[in-house]
Amino acid sequence: MRRILIVGAGQSGLQLALGLQSKGYDVTLMSHRTADETRSGRVMSTQVMFATALDHERDLKLNFWENRAPRIEGLGVSVAGPAREPGGYHRTVDWAGSLDGYAQSVDQRVKMAGWMDVFAERGGRLVIHGAAVSDLDFLSRRYELVLVAAGKGELASMFGRDAARSPYAAPQRSLAVAYVHGLGPRHEHPEYDAMRCNLVPGAGELFVMPTLTTSGHADILFWEGIPGGPIDVFQDVRDPGEHLVRTLELLERFTPWEYARATKVELTDANATLVGRYTPTVRHPVGRLPSGGAVLGVGDVVVANDPVTGQGANLAAKCAASYLEAIVARGGAPFDTAWMQATFERFWATARPATKWTNAMLAPPPPHVLNLVGAAGRLQPVADRIANGFDDPADFEHFFFDSAKADAYVRDAGEAEGDLEEGEVTEGTGDAD
Amino acid sequence: MGAKAAAPGDEGEPQGWQTDRSKAPVATKIVVAGGFGVGKTTFVGSVSEITPLRTEAVMTVASEGLDDLVAIPEKATTTVAMDFGRITLDAELVLYLFGTPGQKRFWFMWDDLVRGAIGAVVMADTRRLTECFPALDYFESCGLPYIVAVNHFEGTARYAPEDVREALSLPSYVAVVDIDARRRESVVDALLTLVRQALDAAPA
Amino acid sequence: MTLTHPLPLRVPDRAAVGRRPARVRPYSLTGGRHRFGHVLRVETFVAALDDPGEWPEPVTGGLAALLMPEVRAIIGLCRRLRSVAEVSALLKMPLGVVRVLLGDLADQGRIRVYGIGYGGCRPDRALLERVLSGLSRL
Repeated sequence: MRRILIVGAGQSGLQLALGLQSKGYDVTLMSHRTADETRSGRVMSTQVMFATALDHERDLKLNFWENRAPRIEGLGVSVAGPAREPGGYHRTVDWAGSLDGYAQSVDQRVKMAGWMDVFAERGGRLVIHGAAVSDLDFLSRRYELVLVAAGKGELASMFGRDAARSPYAAPQRSLAVAYVHGLGPRHEHPEYDAMRCNLVPGAGELFVMPTLTTSGHADILFWEGIPGGPIDVFQDVRDPGEHLVRTLELLERFTPWEYARATKVELTDANATLVGRYTPTVRHPVGRLPSGGAVLGVGDVVVANDPVTGQGANLAAKCAASYLEAIVARGGAPFDTAWMQATFERFWATARPATKWTNAMLAPPPPHVLNLVGAAGRLQPVADRIANGFDDPADFEHFFFDSAKADAYVRDAGEAEGDLEEGEVTEGTGDAD
Repeated sequence: MGAKAAAPGDEGEPQGWQTDRSKAPVATKIVVAGGFGVGKTTFVGSVSEITPLRTEAVMTVASEGLDDLVAIPEKATTTVAMDFGRITLDAELVLYLFGTPGQKRFWFMWDDLVRGAIGAVVMADTRRLTECFPALDYFESCGLPYIVAVNHFEGTARYAPEDVREALSLPSYVAVVDIDARRRESVVDALLTLVRQALDAAPA
Repeated sequence: MTLTHPLPLRVPDRAAVGRRPARVRPYSLTGGRHRFGHVLRVETFVAALDDPGEWPEPVTGGLAALLMPEVRAIIGLCRRLRSVAEVSALLKMPLGVVRVLLGDLADQGRIRVYGIGYGGCRPDRALLERVLSGLSRL
């Protein structure tokens, strides 16, 4: 029975721990918090997971909340534009694409705490300890493989930044998350749940995502503000109530169509808000310990993208699935640094398109992307394809980045749909108010 | 042990409870936090029945935020020490005092220490008052009872506890005490103040 | 009492004042049932359960690991009751390592991990009263 140490009890660390455990590995998991502390603590993230990532959880029979979490059947995009009245905004783009397989969001406080309990219940060794370099230095000699999955903690800095794969040197958004109850139904399509990306050109984005949280169904209101811009107003906010007030003020100002649904919302609990900012960074996957031992980085230790495309939890799940396969395939052979590097590169094939797309979305959109997003309002297949790109960002390579490919795709899609003029009137420009 | 002088790790004669492995006393703890050189180890040593012991953790140098990482060379590490002492209150009750560095970047060590603690003594030096701000923020955020102990250093200006309270924006129920960390009675008084305050805050 | 220098002012984290962790626990998978594994706080007491000399010869990897020098040192030190932090400090071993090894040893029945002596996550009133009277006697 091969002995493996995993540091970090988030999506990637726990998914790997439970996966390896189910395959008969002797797994020790280090978490800096207990399951109860996680459950009663602060929200950690937004985490809409799309079909591929959910399948990875289903493969391991870890989809314990699938029947209770809202099914996110679609993904909508709105683009805000200045309204006729000065100071107001209305929608210049408004569409919803249909997801081939539904997405789901389970508050990580619920999921990670539950998974931690299950890991321990199944005989896994759970050590409650915030690991330091000295711990790993010693333990790396006692385990055949040490995996560091402690996302943005102290240990992540053991892994050097890969400059060639990290185009940004500073945070590109300031993040402000609020979990709320009482959001009204979405009038565009009240018959199904969807997540909605509201783009406010030059200022940032608002994401609205149905989720399961500790107190049942809820919605996440997540502002991403360009640093220094009008949405970057949460830095000094400490009070959760004040956080919600500012969130709603921004909704009213920039996305009045969302504000109309949000007049009765309240925070789900005292720990329902989160503020932060970090630099999107890809790191070298092999960390070197002072004694010379090597450890392998997992999930957002190695690939930390901005949440603007909601890929974090998805990549964490994909990373865990990819590493699990690589570890099992290794059989009894040593987990040396060459294997570690190859294991990461295998995952990078999946992570690279997601990273490229996410980094592109942080920059001002070029004309062909604006054209594409606009066309999705007239052409349902275009909307559907963009929506499903959140599940498989590799598809964007075929129609998103290159202006010639994007234009050709829009043209072909228009021809396939028939008369463009007719299509234009089927989707309005939204409920400007 | 022989005639060897008390070295770190030499804990002297065992307490009675240590040799009876059929049962253990209740173990409880108090956290002593504060900036570098504020007198945490002196405080612990003044009441501890053992020479204060030290656990060390090697950490990466950068941890305040990943934003700063760009300039940090790989493998840069630093050592953080945590000194602690022990008081046998009776045969069935042992109190540990854990001194912990006050910087925010050591939050993960605090999480560990705060779990199940009675409360915290935040040691302040009025010459470097800002160094205790992160500890106050932290203990407030996790709801741990705490008091502020102003360690008086000779040759420094004395401030009235009320001035310190005001500067630190402390709620009225948080005690501010002047102490001399070298004096056992002074340290015991501070601990008593903390435990009384924790008792006031504890649910009936 | 001369105020030679004004003291720097702190802006407190208002949201945090007086906050307590919520005790809500819906959607818990094992909530209410007993916790698995060993709670190894820094102050948790541990002691050896038998003599290393009585151990059988190592036949499996797990047992071989148990017989490594660090483990022998822990067993030796724990002839007396020790807290987790004392084991770490006296053997100059990182705290996390001690937690992992003690967890191993407890699973193997070589080490006893003593309960913390009270329920809940914070000391209760009865315990605080005892600490208060204990400190008063010092």
